[in-house]
This record gives sequence, C-alpha cells and structure tokens, in this order.
Amino acid sequence: MNKLKLNWEVALLLILVAEILLFGAINPRMLDVNMLLFSTSDFICIGIVALPLTLVIISGGIDISLGSTIGLCAIALGVMLQAGMPISLAVILTLAVGLLCGLFNAALIHYTGISPLVITLGTLYLFGGAALLLSGMAGATGYEGIGSFPDTFTNFANLTLFGLPIPLVMFAVITLLFWLLTHRARFGRHIFLIGQNPRAARYAALPVNGSLYGVYGMVGLASAIAAIVLVSYFGSARSDLGRDLLMPALTAAVLGGANIYGGSGSILGTALAALLVGYLQQGLQMAGVPNQVSSALSGALLIVVVIGRSVSLHRDYLQTTWRRLRGHKKLTGV
Amino acid sequence: MPNTTAMLEAHHISKQFSGVSVLKAIDFALYAGQVHALLGGNGAGKSTLMKIFAGVETADSGELKVHGKAFGRLKPGQAHELGIYLVPQEPMLFPNLTVRENILFRLPRQSDIEKRLQEKMRQLECQIPLGATASTLEVADQQMVEILRGLMREAKILILDEPTASLTPGETERLFRQIRALQNLGVGIVFISHKLPEIRQIASHISVMRDGAVVLQGETAQLLDEQLINAMTPLDRKHTLSDTQKLWLALPGNRRTQPQDFPVLRVEELTGEGFIDLSFELYAGEIVGLAGLVGSGRTELAETLYGLRPVRGGRIYLENREISGDRTKSRLDRGLIYLPEDRQVSGLFLDAPIRWNTVALNEASVWQQSKREAAVVERYHRALGIKLNNAEQTVRTLSGGNQQKVLLARCLEANPLLLIIDEPTRGVDVAARADIYQLIKSVAAQNVAVLMISSDLDEFSGLADRVLVMHQGAMNGELRKPSITVESMMSMAFGGGKA
Amino acid sequence: MKKLLRNRELSALLAIVALFAVLVALNHSYFSLQTLSMIFTSAQILILLAVGATMVMLTRNIDVSVGSTVGLCAIAVGVALNSGYGLPAAMLFALLIGAIAGFFNGVLVVWLRIPAIVATLGTLGLYRGGMLLWTGGKWIEGLPASLKALSEPVAIGVSPLGFLVLIVVAIAAWMLARTAFGRDFYAVGDNLAAARQLGVAVNRTRLLAFTFNGMLAAIAGIIFASQIGFVPNQTGSGLEMKAIAACVLGGISLLGGTGTVIGAFLGAFFLTQIDTVLVLFKLPAWWNDFIAGLVLLGVLVLDGRLRQALARHQRAQKYSRFVPPLPGAKNVRQFPRKKKDVA
Repeated sequence: MNKLKLNWEVALLLILVAEILLFGAINPRMLDVNMLLFSTSDFICIGIVALPLTLVIISGGIDISLGSTIGLCAIALGVMLQAGMPISLAVILTLAVGLLCGLFNAALIHYTGISPLVITLGTLYLFGGAALLLSGMAGATGYEGIGSFPDTFTNFANLTLFGLPIPLVMFAVITLLFWLLTHRARFGRHIFLIGQNPRAARYAALPVNGSLYGVYGMVGLASAIAAIVLVSYFGSARSDLGRDLLMPALTAAVLGGANIYGGSGSILGTALAALLVGYLQQGLQMAGVPNQVSSALSGALLIVVVIGRSVSLHRDYLQTTWRRLRGHKKLTGV
Repeated sequence: MPNTTAMLEAHHISKQFSGVSVLKAIDFALYAGQVHALLGGNGAGKSTLMKIFAGVETADSGELKVHGKAFGRLKPGQAHELGIYLVPQEPMLFPNLTVRENILFRLPRQSDIEKRLQEKMRQLECQIPLGATASTLEVADQQMVEILRGLMREAKILILDEPTASLTPGETERLFRQIRALQNLGVGIVFISHKLPEIRQIASHISVMRDGAVVLQGETAQLLDEQLINAMTPLDRKHTLSDTQKLWLALPGNRRTQPQDFPVLRVEELTGEGFIDLSFELYAGEIVGLAGLVGSGRTELAETLYGLRPVRGGRIYLENREISGDRTKSRLDRGLIYLPEDRQVSGLFLDAPIRWNTVALNEASVWQQSKREAAVVERYHRALGIKLNNAEQTVRTLSGGNQQKVLLARCLEANPLLLIIDEPTRGVDVAARADIYQLIKSVAAQNVAVLMISSDLDEFSGLADRVLVMHQGAMNGELRKPSITVESMMSMAFGGGKA
Repeated sequence: MKKLLRNRELSALLAIVALFAVLVALNHSYFSLQTLSMIFTSAQILILLAVGATMVMLTRNIDVSVGSTVGLCAIAVGVALNSGYGLPAAMLFALLIGAIAGFFNGVLVVWLRIPAIVATLGTLGLYRGGMLLWTGGKWIEGLPASLKALSEPVAIGVSPLGFLVLIVVAIAAWMLARTAFGRDFYAVGDNLAAARQLGVAVNRTRLLAFTFNGMLAAIAGIIFASQIGFVPNQTGSGLEMKAIAACVLGGISLLGGTGTVIGAFLGAFFLTQIDTVLVLFKLPAWWNDFIAGLVLLGVLVLDGRLRQALARHQRAQKYSRFVPPLPGAKNVRQFPRKKKDVA
C-alpha cells in the first residue's frame, strides 16, 4: 500500500518536471527561475485550499462551498479595511469568518445527517449569496469589487522571504503542517479510518464528530487565508474571487491520489498535483493558448488520470470483460 | 419418482477469483421433484456455484445443462426464462419500493397475477402487509418476500441459500410444507444449509462441498451423520483442545494480581432495546457464557453495556462505579472492551494495515509511533500465533481466524477489565478456533472478566465457568460448571427449564 | 405532518401556492395567469435540467457537467443556424451533440467505473473548453427570428417551446412511474445487485439515464438561445448546481431510488418563483442567491430532522415492548406471543 503511494508521488513529480520542461521548450521564459517562483502566486491558492480539502475527502466527505467561502471572506475583509479597521484586526476577523463557515458546514452535516455534497451545495448558495449581499450593501455593484486598500496590505502578497514569494512560503509551511497532521499524527490516522469504515470507527470510539468539525473548520480557515492572499495580490475584493478555485482544487486532490469515496489520499500528492495543475494553467497562458482551452485541458487531464487509475484498480474486471467480448466475437464469427 | 433427464446438470465447473481456485471441476445434478441439499463450511464454494447456476457469475470452464440444453454461460435474464430462481441468503430487496412491487418486479402483468399472489401468500400463511416499504421489514419477513418472488416466477428450479437462518421453528415447518408441495409439482430444489436435522427432514440427496470440490455425494438415507461431518471438516486439521498447548499472553499495563472481592460488572434490573430487567454479576477471572437463540437480545445487551445503545431502565456498575450514562470512549478507558460479532463490518478496518488496527483502541500519544506499534504487533504475532508477513499488510489479506486474532489483539492491547466477546469463532477455521479458546482462558487467568456470547452451544462446555441463558429478552436461567450441557442450554434457550 | 413529509410533491406544491399567495397579498395585480406563465417561462430551462438530473440521480449517480452541455448545445444550434441550416436540422444537431455528451459521461461512469462526481467534474471543464474552442471566444449573435419566434407565447401565455417542455415532463413522468423501463431506473438506484440479479440491464439503464440527461440539456440549450437571442460565453455556468438543488427540494434522493419527475418540476418551479418574486418585490439582485441558499438549507435541515425523527420513531416501535417494569413489580412481564409463532 505504501509502495503504491510512493510510486504515485514520484510519478507526479516526474510529470511536473516534464511539464515545466515542455512549456519551457515552447516558451523559454518559463524556465527562468524567477519566473517559475513568482508565477506561483497566481495559482498557489489552489494548493492552499486543496490540502484541507484532501483531508475532508479522506474522511469520506466533500466541500463544494469553499469557493463561496473565499468570496465571503474576501468581501468581509474588503468591508473591514474600507471601514478603516487596522489590518491585523481585519485579518484575524477574516480568519474567524472562514473558520465559522467551515464549522457551520460541519454542524449542518452533524445535525441533519444529510450527505455533505448536498449540505455544501446549500451553503455554496448561502455563503455566495451572503458575499453578494455584503458587497451590494457596501456599495460595490455586481462583481466590481471593493478596491483601494492601504499599500501595506497590497504589498503583502509581493513580499519575499529568502528570495521566495510569501504565498509560496506559506504554501510550503501549510503543506508541511498538513503532512505532519495527516501522516504522522493520531488525528490523521483517525481521519483515514473514519473514511474507510464509519461504523467500525463508531465501535472503536474514534472521535467521529470532533474530526468532522476539525476538517471542515480547516477548510474554512484555509479559504480565509486564500482570500486574504488573493485580495492582497489583486488589490481588490470581489465576491467571485473563489469561483474558479473549486474545480482545480478538487482536481488536485483526486490527482494527488485521494479516493473520492474516502479512506485514502496523500498530502504530498495533493501538493504536487496542485503545482501540476497550476503550472499547466500558467504554461498554457505563456504559450499563448487562450484561457478557455486551459480549462478544457484541465478537465481532460482529470479524466485521463482517473481513467488510468480506474483501469489499474479494476484490472480484473476489465480483463474478463475484454476476454468475454473477444470470445463472443469468435463464437459469432465476427 | 424423479424422471431420468436431469433438470440441471453441471459438468466440471471451475472458477477462479484473482488466481485462487474457488471451484474445482464440480459435478452436480438436480432432478425434477427432488430436493438436493448442499452442505459445506464457510468458503467451501456453495454460494459461488449457485451464483453460476443463476447466471450472476460465469464459470471459467465446464458445461451447464438446463433441461438437457447446454449453455456456456448464462445471463440472469436467461436463467429466469429457464425457470431458475436463486433465493439469496441475505435478502436483496429494493428498500424504497413496496413489498408488492418487490415481489412482482419485472413480472408480466397478467390479469390473475393479484389472485396468484394472494394464493401463494395464503399457502405460506404469510401476513406481511403488501403496501409496506421493504426497508421496514424484519429479516425473516424479508426472506419470506424473497421466497415469494421465486414462487411467483413459477420457478422450475428453485435454489434456497440458507433459507431457515432467521426463521422460527414454526415458520420453518411452513416453509417445508411449501417445499413438499412444490416437489409434487415437479419443481427441483437445491437446499443449502448447515443444519443436519433439517436436511434429513427435507432432502433426498446430499452433496458435501469442501474447499471448492464436491467430496461426498449420495442419497440422504444412505449417508450417516458421521460421514457428513467428517466430509465437511478437513482431516489434517483435526484439533482437540489440549491443555498442554499454552499460548500465553502477558497483558500490558498495571494489572491487579489479586481479584477484588466485588464484582467487575454488576447489572441491576437493566432494560434496554431488546431485553428487560436483567440482573447479574461478573467476577474477575471467570468466563461467563451468554447463550440464547438469534433474537434473544444478547448482542443488544452487549452493545448497551458498551454504550452504543441507550439504557431504558436499571443501572450498570463497573467495579462499583456507575457507568450507565457514560459514553463509549470513557467506558473503553475504564476497561470495558467489546469485540463485535460482525468483525468485518463493525470491528476491523479491512483496508488499513494490521498495525493501525491493533492500536486503534489504545493510542497513547498524539503522534503515530510506528516503531513502538510495530513492536506491539510483533508481540501479538508471537503470542497469538497470527500468520502475517509484516505489520504493514492490510487486514483484508488475512484469513478469518487471523483477522479475529488481530481484533482480539486490539482488545487486549486496550488493557481490559471486562472483555465482552461476541461470537468469537464465527467464520474461523478449526485450527484457529483452538487457539482462540486457549487465549480466552489465558486472558481470564490474568483477572479479566470475560463475557462470551456464542450461538455454538458446544463451545461453552469446555470453556465457561457459568452460562447465562436468555430467551426473548429475559434471563431464563443460569447454569454452573458441572451442569453445563447442550441439552440444558438448548431447552432454556427455547423458553423451557433445565433439561 | 408525517403524511406531508412522505409526500414531498404535495409539500412542494403547497410551498409554491403559499409563496404565490404572499406575492398576491402584497400586490393584487399579480394575481393573473400572466404571472404564472412568466414564472414558467423563466423556469423552462431549469425544469428540463431538473428532469434530466432526476433520471441520473434515480440511478444513484450525479452529473455536474450539464451546465457546460447546455452551453455546448446552444452554440451548436446557433452555429448550425448561422451556417444556413434549417431550424429542424439545427435542433436535431444540438440534440445529437447533447446525446453524445451525455453518452460520454455514461461511458466514463458505467464502463470505466469512474465515480460519477469525478467524471462529470472532468467533463464539466472539458465541455466548457470545447465550447470556447468552438466559438473562438466570440459570442454567437444574430440568430434568425425563426428561432426566437419559438419562444413567443401562442396560447395561455405559453410558447411552443414551453409546450414542448410540458410534453417532455409529462412523458418522463409517465415513463418513470408506469413503464417497466422506467421502474428499472428506480431499481438500479435502490439496489444495484438485486436489480442485476433480477435481470435488469443495469449498465444500459445507467447509460441511458446519462444520455437522456444530455438530450434534455440540449433542449434547454435551444430554449436558451431562443429566449435570449444570442449565446454568450458563460452560457450555462452554474446551472447544474441549481438543477440538483431543484431535485433535492422536490424530494429526489442523492442515494437513488426515491423521487418523482413531478417533484423535480415543482422544485424547479419553486426556485424560479423565488427569484421572480424577489425581482417583483424590487429587491436588489444581490439578495437572490442568499435567499435561495436559505430556502434550500431550510428545507434540507427540516427534511433531515424529520427523517431522523421518523427513524427514531421506527426504532422505538421496534423495541416498544422492552419497557422497564413498574417499581415493586418484580416479575417479568408476560410478552404477547407473536401470532405466527405457533410452533
């Protein structure tokens, strides 16, 4: 089981390197180290939310409302900054908003016993609607967004630490934290077990409810962090800031090796896959391919990878079906 | 008299699953009006063979002849048209459809279909409301619905897979009357069961399967019980409980060397889901058996003691401390450990490594400690005789007996004061069974109170110090060491007094 | 109350009536057939998508790519018309595209055994990219009047396409409720193994569910092009979630086996009605999503709690005779023997 995981992560790393080299061949600017490092700020938020999303998926759930949570946190931040609140306070409150959204999701799942897919579908509208509502009341119409933030704030996303852009550093730290949590801490093991067999988890008195609140809360928190980074990076707070993050994040988690039904997944895999998906978008842009095609290619990538995984998992079934089809053809003389 | 052409004939049927031979060149024949019993232990291949007959699975090689015509493979639809119907062991109903829709599913809408349904129900003396949603039925009723399905399809070849598993004696008798009526109509019936008395009652021919092959075949009248039992159990694994075989196991943590003078578990007038007004005590070091029929409330009692079901009345005391309202985690921490009866569904995490399964109840630190845990697994590997390759392999790859040992290791690692084991040897082969009995004894010898629930009354005779017998949710009586006989237990389980 | 819960369609209908009553109460001029037909016209696309989603969800699957399929088919009909083909040919072309898109989803889920949510998330991106590739990022404009005429009301305020929608809903409802073919959908979602064993062609049924969904999305795309008059880039974005929400509101379960087309129709109607009511109340557009989310969650919470209460009640019934004896009465109660247990 572990060997399979390691193989997959190595394969992802190799594909990532190959991808960068491929794009570099098309547009040599891509291979510039600075370019590689600083372009991550465009897409690194995919990775920041994909990591806790992986944990949620491992536990057997899913959260499709994270895009709306990001939007809500962004607007909340915008409103607070516009009102003149000190930056540190606004940031802390934004984190609180994100955390509350996540805990709200967990509470609904806990108290209604309804599938997380349906619950987060509802909160997708609720949070997204709340974001629109807030921004509307704050005077920004439609998706225009709130702008004109203090410089100290907008410079944040452009700061560097040891020559690396801050968002990338944050991503690395968060990856490390999640890796420790998932693969080295007791909490992570519980998540795997709960995802594999919820009934046996109950019988073994594992903290099923506590873990629920924990993982969804973390998604909310990460969404808030992503919102802060994005608002700082783009200089404006829009309610649809997170709309295009869900699909890539989910793709990253599945590509990274998570089973959508729960019970298995890899933090390192997700992190590598997030970089993969991000650089894909980036590289396509630099190769001059229009944005629209990149979403098609991301979708195609997901399908191809999942087909590959499915084929290897269901080798037996596919072989017998194939054999049966061929045998049938022989009998009927086709 | 059965006629000479077989309704259903199988020649040299073989099947493999992922390289493992599940059926090895099986020959089988069923004649009209005949009841042919199929006997065999778990994993003998009976269900797979029946699935091949019903078209749900395909044989890798061999020939299947139905009414004289040969078929390479059957599709379920084809099998139905040929009049073959399989009544599965676990009822497979549509939970959200009504009983009527379940029974009449995919049957052509003939004008007299309603009349025929009522007729069949009357013959079986079945009182299930037709408009009820299938998910609300009890297992016995669900089984009846399955049987009705087969009957309504005018099956010529009816395969019954353990049909009497959840039926009361009265219901079983009624089913047998139906079977005899069907025999008179020329229907051929394959009857899978492991209950010898029933087979003697109803079947004219018996085939015994073991490890994927038919090892004995013949007329019921000419086969002795001894022959049948010998055929089912493999010769080289005959084991008797020997005192000299010591599997010793030192339990972790601080253990008391002297038993207390108060009981480890005291239950006072306990009422819960499935039982009323139970009162009993368990002392350290004794093995107490809990006997009774299916549905007598034993597992419900165990789950209530463990905290998974609510208490409706009465109190539970663990070492003189009331725990009636405690959550399961705190009961675990205090030493009340429960090993559930369906280990694959409620006990083990099949796709997780052995190491994870072993320490699931006792994780001291916030961090996973792979070295320490591997050492723990190694200790149990030696002490319990678990056959494994390494601590990281998934539990799914182990045999039934070894899986049970892993579960036992987990319970022991949690430092129990009271160990409740539900069906310890279900689905476990004979060799591992002896090991498990030894382990229970050695655990009790270290001042653990053991409550053992089992449907196999023979197990109690050598093992239990006392046996409590339950009947329909009430404690019918208690038997002590010299008087623990299968007859007494059986009689009390059915509601009577000591035999 | 329990009856209401069990009959989800009835409660959905009551909700619609109640909301309509609220609307009328605040402005009597809204009490007219015109209001109803206006809501219906806005709801046509969602209704079709909800019916399609019902078929897929009944078989215990999900399809989140329909929004992109709608866009793809809207472009298909637009491109065909602009290239000079006649209206019937263009519509057939769009229908074909929709069927292929749905069939491809079915192949991924049924033959390649990919979990439905992952497969359709992939095709969501794939089809949207295909859309944008096809049009080169430009909007399709200048659609012929013959197409737009199909959305002009002809009778009781309903357009020809509107009648088509009603016919489709009627056929789908009849098929699912009355034909063996339709009951197969329920069987497959309720218990796949049992359905297979009883001879249902489970693979074919699921493939057809996805294909029908695609075709219904195609009709929705045609309606979109007809109603709006041009096809922008973002056509269809986000519609899949609304369709699923409509189905959940109408009583379709994600686990398959329960729910009816009528329920989906009412759910879609109700969701659109909320939007329309808010517009008529002159509430700014930014309230819409929030209220829709509130309603959806409210229904879900209520539904979940009621379902839990029902389960608790069933459990209490199952164990009803296990009641602690009265204090003082030490004897165990005599249990009434089950009538059939005359051994």
